[in-house]
Amino acid sequence: MTFLQNPEFGDRIITLMAALVLVLQIAAVGQRWLVSSIRIFAAQSFLLASIAGIIAYFNHASHIYIAALLTLILKAGLLPWLLERLVKRIEIRREIEPLINAPLSILIAGGLTLVGYIVAQSFYHPEETSVRAALGHNTLAVAIALFLIGFFTMLNRRKALTQVLGLLSLENGLFLAAISLTYGMPLVVELGIFFDVLVAVMVLGILVFRIREAFDSMDVSKLRKLRE
Amino acid sequence: MEAVNLAAFAVLLCLAATLGVRVLRSGPVSVWDGFFYADALSALVVLLSAFVALACSIYAVGYFRHDERNGVFQEGEKLGGGRAVNKLREYYALTPLFVFSMILVALANNLGILWVAIEGTTLASVFLVMFYGRETSLEAAWKYAIIGGVGLSMALFGTILTYYSAHQALGTDTLAGLNWSVLVGNASQFDKATMRLAFILILLGYGTKAGIAPMHTWKPDAYSEAPIPGAAMLAAGVLNCALYGLVRFYILSSKCLGPEFASHLLILFGLLSMCVAVPFILVQKNFRRMLAYSSIDHSGIMVLALGFGGPLGVLGMLLHMTFHSITKPLLFFCAGNVQQQLKTDLFREAKGGLIHSMPLTGAAFLMATLAVTGAPPFSLFLSEFTILRAGFSGGYLVLAILFITFLVAIFSGFLIHIANLVLGPDPGLPPAETCRWKKSSVVGLALVIVVMGFWIPTPLFRLIQGAADIVTSGR
Repeated sequence: MTFLQNPEFGDRIITLMAALVLVLQIAAVGQRWLVSSIRIFAAQSFLLASIAGIIAYFNHASHIYIAALLTLILKAGLLPWLLERLVKRIEIRREIEPLINAPLSILIAGGLTLVGYIVAQSFYHPEETSVRAALGHNTLAVAIALFLIGFFTMLNRRKALTQVLGLLSLENGLFLAAISLTYGMPLVVELGIFFDVLVAVMVLGILVFRIREAFDSMDVSKLRKLRE
Repeated sequence: MEAVNLAAFAVLLCLAATLGVRVLRSGPVSVWDGFFYADALSALVVLLSAFVALACSIYAVGYFRHDERNGVFQEGEKLGGGRAVNKLREYYALTPLFVFSMILVALANNLGILWVAIEGTTLASVFLVMFYGRETSLEAAWKYAIIGGVGLSMALFGTILTYYSAHQALGTDTLAGLNWSVLVGNASQFDKATMRLAFILILLGYGTKAGIAPMHTWKPDAYSEAPIPGAAMLAAGVLNCALYGLVRFYILSSKCLGPEFASHLLILFGLLSMCVAVPFILVQKNFRRMLAYSSIDHSGIMVLALGFGGPLGVLGMLLHMTFHSITKPLLFFCAGNVQQQLKTDLFREAKGGLIHSMPLTGAAFLMATLAVTGAPPFSLFLSEFTILRAGFSGGYLVLAILFITFLVAIFSGFLIHIANLVLGPDPGLPPAETCRWKKSSVVGLALVIVVMGFWIPTPLFRLIQGAADIVTSGR
């Protein structure tokens, strides 16, 4: 079991998982069933929690364990459960046609990944040959890509709920950036952010529900009374 | 619950004043192992937030009693907005949360906690925006929550990157790694490329919250849908908090990268916001949306002043922040009185001549308009003049001329609209019912504005100066 002590092994596993996270994100871009989108988000959060756990294990950074556990409970468990309940209550299963069709969206997501790598390049210091620098490079690129693709999803989708999912995957990108760059923010901050994400989803959930009641639809493009 | 709110905010204002005095006497205060930290800048923002909260809570009593009498909540009830009693309880429960987050923004030492608190103000105020439960309020709340959420996630990314760039210099994994008191001393050693990206993200993020163009689109909707006291707190309280966050990062970035980088960005966004506000104020049909555009204009002015930089620019910005926070609520209160009387917020339906049916509100509305557009002798003239001097002495000749042009355009547009609304022949409306809560908040604020136009209390001015010193010298 010596490989379990080898940081290089941990690095490889993390890179592999980060790649999976990215694949899931791109799959979410092409996905039109709401429940599947939520489950993809849950799987992605689960992977993120594992990445955090592995980083904590190989670097003996105990406070990241707490962040990992919180991610597991909140983002991979509680939030998807809440969102699925919401989907059941409002009885809408499918996304209407997004502004840009699925193949093109996936292509754009690929392009955004490239952008992520280019931006991450500027943080890469080749003189630092440590594992940490190399680790930061790949996962940071994925994190920026997640951020950008989440942004794109929010622009592209018109259902209120998919916009919330876009915002959540954007937050996932931030989480990945935080743990890969600096091994997590200080714990108090981490806790605050989790609390905020939870409350934000509840607020948005209430809003989605009320929009659905008032407009009989979750299509945010119907929200256009307030114009100049 | 009215009484509890009033008492709490009155105590809060006293505490804020005490904090201000203590900071003036003995320098920065820090408690709980430096979890909370207050220097002159934080003390100023706390004081302003507490003042706005108290003024709004006095007005709120009159405002909501009027709503209750006129069955506004019952209308909302039909739309699924909840019962009338619950509505009031909702307001009086949310406001303290909202104000608490605003105070936490200014007192948090940790830049991550500062982010959490700013996000907290958004979450508490989303419910204030959708308070009336109309379809339009839902739309406004949705826009506010989503645009605010995206903006703040950018700010969080910026905060993470700041932590990263400091992390390399400081090498700490502990909470202190994001503490303002630690960061500011070492800012010159931060990683420059990272800090540059971080500042851009922070500017976009907290800029969204402050409502500078082009991230301002949520503002007119949110301000016109929220109940007046909530809207006034958004306009005069949250604006300061967002700018406070921006200023903190501005200090870090100018210590790390030199002031030029941040300045140019700030000037660009500041002028853009003013420029965007001009046409919308000139052709505005709805007076509450006009107030929102005025607020976009004012956040633009403050950002621009910070961009001009130098001791004068920073002093101008902080003066402007102070004067804006005392003037804006009065404008909202008058607009609220007019709206409750006429049951509309459109100029077209108002028909003018309000001064005959509601003399006090009409006069105060005109006065507040003159004050907020920076006409002498009111105090915003002083701050705008300081900013202008900063522009000229910084060598930004063309930009300073643009600044005056925008100010004049906004002044004339604003004044024409409000004068048409308030003055003119008597349309024969019945005299408005007066309520002593509304009256006292309007008269009280008007008095404060007039007095501040001629005389700024010395301790307040010293606090503002102290805050300006912190920004310029980065201590």
